[in-house]
Amino acid sequence: MAEEAAIVQQIADREMIERIGRGDQSAFSALYDRLSRPLYSLALRMLGDAGDAQDALQDVFLQIWSRAATYNPEQSTVFSWTVLLTRSRVIDRLRARKRRLRIVASATGDEDADVADASTMESAADTADKNDEAARVRSVLNNLPSEQREAIELAFFGHLTHHEIAARLGEPLGTIKARIRRGLLKLRERLGT
Amino acid sequence: MISEEQQDQAALHVLGLLSAAEAAAFESALSASAELRDFVRELREAAADIALSAPSQAPPASLKQRIMREITTEKLAPVPLQRAPFGWVPWAIAAGLIVFCGVLALDRARLERELTGARAADPLMQTAFFTLGPSAPAPADAKATVAWEPGRQSGVIRISNLPAPQPGRDYQLWAVDAAHKDPISAGVIRVDKNGIAQVRFKPVEKVEHVKAFAISLEREGGVPKKEGPILLVGSA
Repeated sequence: MAEEAAIVQQIADREMIERIGRGDQSAFSALYDRLSRPLYSLALRMLGDAGDAQDALQDVFLQIWSRAATYNPEQSTVFSWTVLLTRSRVIDRLRARKRRLRIVASATGDEDADVADASTMESAADTADKNDEAARVRSVLNNLPSEQREAIELAFFGHLTHHEIAARLGEPLGTIKARIRRGLLKLRERLGT
Repeated sequence: MISEEQQDQAALHVLGLLSAAEAAAFESALSASAELRDFVRELREAAADIALSAPSQAPPASLKQRIMREITTEKLAPVPLQRAPFGWVPWAIAAGLIVFCGVLALDRARLERELTGARAADPLMQTAFFTLGPSAPAPADAKATVAWEPGRQSGVIRISNLPAPQPGRDYQLWAVDAAHKDPISAGVIRVDKNGIAQVRFKPVEKVEHVKAFAISLEREGGVPKKEGPILLVGSA
């Protein structure tokens, strides 16, 4: 039944996007109500700042409004498309933040200033939520081998490259790539996406 | 067969970790391999679900007001839809096209069978979506969406803005399949008083190469072979 509900949700999402593409504000409002919470939560987790996360979410929804007609259902579901947009907007902000910090560090001579991205990294194990789907994802994520989960979370939420993850964890690059691959394959298998 | 190295690249690609040069090379490989595209799509969906593991927080209500105000006042016009309208296609032309495409469809089916193993555990990825648009005499805003799962030989249809038929008549769903001369009945569909229906259906015969779905107006209880006018029709 969960599977059927997911299909029905996909249908509803696609219909909303089609209507948004025709300038339907009520459909846009409905899509906002459905997706703003998970997308905001993602932005907040990555940025660690509520104001920044709200600005990023605003950018994302304005982008959804203006580009709904470019959505390609062959490539992704509406949900994963909007997650992609959100990560993209958040990463832009993280890069801008990093540039600002570098300038400050350079100006003050504090070359060791911490310019890491999301500093509020926390394990999925530390979180709690009553949403069924979110709980299921957390359960699957938490049941991955810890080194795979760590690599995936650093990449997804921390936006560290595989090179940066390898350096941070002191592991060979090939090991990190394999952990990310194996972790994602297990997620795919267990989430049935 | 997707090599381990390609799988590594695919995983990094969906997380946005490839450099510009690596991404360009991978995109090139993607354009050449349907199997790789399917694999990437599956990984992308799995990766997107990771977002749900973030601690759940609602944005402030004022943010929605701000965004709604923005789209209303800033004249941010949506990009127009580029899709062709879903006009009614006469059955005779459809049948001709189906026959013409038969060989291609069978070849495609062979390729799809090769992918079946990799996709067996992933029902959502096997789902094909069809959008059905109105054909006279249906109301202009009537529409339906079908999510079709070939592996299960069943689907879900959601209809909106289709008024209930006159007494003694029923709406009937049909699958247009390349391997069958006539449309295959997928059952009678009953809409509620608001013109909405959302039901799971199963065609009466096996359909392996569905090209389109259509809804016609038939005698009450349905008919074994389509007789009445088509009200909604659409392909994937």
